Amino acid sequence: MTLSRSQKRGLVGATLLAFVLIAVGIAASWFGSRYQLRFVYGVYVNLLVVLGLQVFMGNARMTNLSHSAFMGIGAYVAAICVTPVAMKSISLPDAPWGLDSFELHPIISAIIAVVITGVLAFLLGLLIVRMTATGATITSLAILVIVHSIFLFRTDIFKGNQAFFGIPQVFSLTSIVVLSVIVVIGARIFRESRWGIQLRATADDEIGAAAMGVNVFHVRLIAWVLSGVLLAVAGIAYAFYLGTISARPFYFNHVFLTLAMLILGGMRTVTGAVLGTFLISFGLEVVRWLETGPTLIGISLPEVLGLSGITLGAVIVLTMGFRPLGIMGDREIEDFILKK
Amino acid sequence: MEYAAQQTMNALAFGAEYALLALGLAIVFSIMGLVNFAHGEVIAVGGYTMVAFAALITANPLIIIFGAVGACIIASLALERVAFRPVRYADATTGLLTAFGVSMILQNLFLLLVSPRPIAVTSLYFLDWPMEIFGIRVSSLQVFESVSTVVVIMALMMFLRRTKLGLAMRAASLDFEMVRLMGIKANRVFAMAFMISGLLAGLACIFIMARRGSVDPHLGFNPVLKAFVACVVGGFGSLPGAVLGGFLLGAVEVGMLVLLPQEYGGMKDAFVFGIIGLVLVWRPDGILSPAQEKGDKL
Repeated sequence: MTLSRSQKRGLVGATLLAFVLIAVGIAASWFGSRYQLRFVYGVYVNLLVVLGLQVFMGNARMTNLSHSAFMGIGAYVAAICVTPVAMKSISLPDAPWGLDSFELHPIISAIIAVVITGVLAFLLGLLIVRMTATGATITSLAILVIVHSIFLFRTDIFKGNQAFFGIPQVFSLTSIVVLSVIVVIGARIFRESRWGIQLRATADDEIGAAAMGVNVFHVRLIAWVLSGVLLAVAGIAYAFYLGTISARPFYFNHVFLTLAMLILGGMRTVTGAVLGTFLISFGLEVVRWLETGPTLIGISLPEVLGLSGITLGAVIVLTMGFRPLGIMGDREIEDFILKK
Repeated sequence: MEYAAQQTMNALAFGAEYALLALGLAIVFSIMGLVNFAHGEVIAVGGYTMVAFAALITANPLIIIFGAVGACIIASLALERVAFRPVRYADATTGLLTAFGVSMILQNLFLLLVSPRPIAVTSLYFLDWPMEIFGIRVSSLQVFESVSTVVVIMALMMFLRRTKLGLAMRAASLDFEMVRLMGIKANRVFAMAFMISGLLAGLACIFIMARRGSVDPHLGFNPVLKAFVACVVGGFGSLPGAVLGGFLLGAVEVGMLVLLPQEYGGMKDAFVFGIIGLVLVWRPDGILSPAQEKGDKL
């Protein structure tokens, strides 16, 4: 198999990003306290989400707002499969359909979660990919609301806003760093693959691409399902580390957060996704600290509830106003070191 | 019989509210291709203005109502000037995300500057009393809502068909460049679109507040989400489509309220969106989508 020039450059870029991810992971595990490790783990989970989002949104340039829902589906399915029976009798006392009478190996649970989310993404994707960009966005918003109301309504399965607890801790920081390296490389390979290029062509000129023989709906559907699968992986990673999940983290706040990350970095590139995730994650930690009203150089600042939300909104508005393509634009990381 | 008539009235009232909001979204979309996620926050501005008026200035409900509608119009115009002008000629995704960000900022500002809790507004309760038409008991609010929506739609139609600026706006939704070449000021067309959008939001605000009786930072979110869905079903950017979608959504919603058993109440919206989604399987671009080539408008 021969690789094209852009594919070779893609591999270089993905390797560079992988080094960055590993370096941050190692630095965190050397210097980080327990709380900081948890925070860094969260950053990597969000990175997986943003990468999953980038695969569809960045290449097809259709805004998707339902990503947190797919993450939630993945997390819940994996959690229900993996939690020990003894634990489930406490955390899910009235589960229907014998959901509380089995427990599976983490890997099998993860595979089941990915398959179920993938099939759901496929079925919803059949609807989404035929729409215009605007229609698809609103429909994805409706999907988010539907999934969330199901989480809240079936408290016997999902516990709603209460915590579903007792999920065994399967993952560590090392496993998620490895996972994110794989996903970064996968997302970049997809971007430079035949499908990725066709998909980006449909985003630039739908009629033109179709005239050149691109099956628009087909490539969009591939990206949508791949995106759904990656989001499921992110959800699984979330559930497998934290031990408890509830419906709230898979709703609007998380959608806003991850969307702002992707937009700031630049949704067209994988590098942008990584950069945006790190910038916003660490930046927001500072803002959260300011929000609680700390004492700074002897001046005690007031408590400002909602500051993080305002910051995220401002990041989106300012990026769109001054740099609509995000910080990276169309450049990937290797463009800084390789010759054009 | 009476039950059926009451439910029909319900459906009309719900549909009227969605149609008002959907029209406001569609008129902005048809002209500048902007999916205005901040529409719900314009409604919330109206709600908070009612609170401020009732607490500080007067208890006269008419003044409160006019104040709220005025505030909605001003808020809508201000958003156009401050937030949406820089992305006026950008592609649809850029505009959509900007509006999304604006909506986030405003919601959090309400949270920060006013209160995360609902604030009661009792000034509008007088709009709602049981009345009898042809021997059928209905709520006066629903009658007001349906009638004023019909009046507004008529007035909007008159405006768009009989006045020069209305003609310019209809033309702008087809080819803005050409309209500008004809000597129409772009700023005026945009301002008018946002003004109408704000006015419609203000009207909807009155009915929402009269029914709910309280305002919180997320006041506009649910109604506007439904209005978006109505727009998509009707065909985004088509004004008749927005009205049709709104009333269709109202009918489906009331149908669900009647048919679904009590304990499924929390799932109502999920069912409504699901059923509406089936319409999109049949027509992915919406029922009344303009039959234009996608390459036409660059």
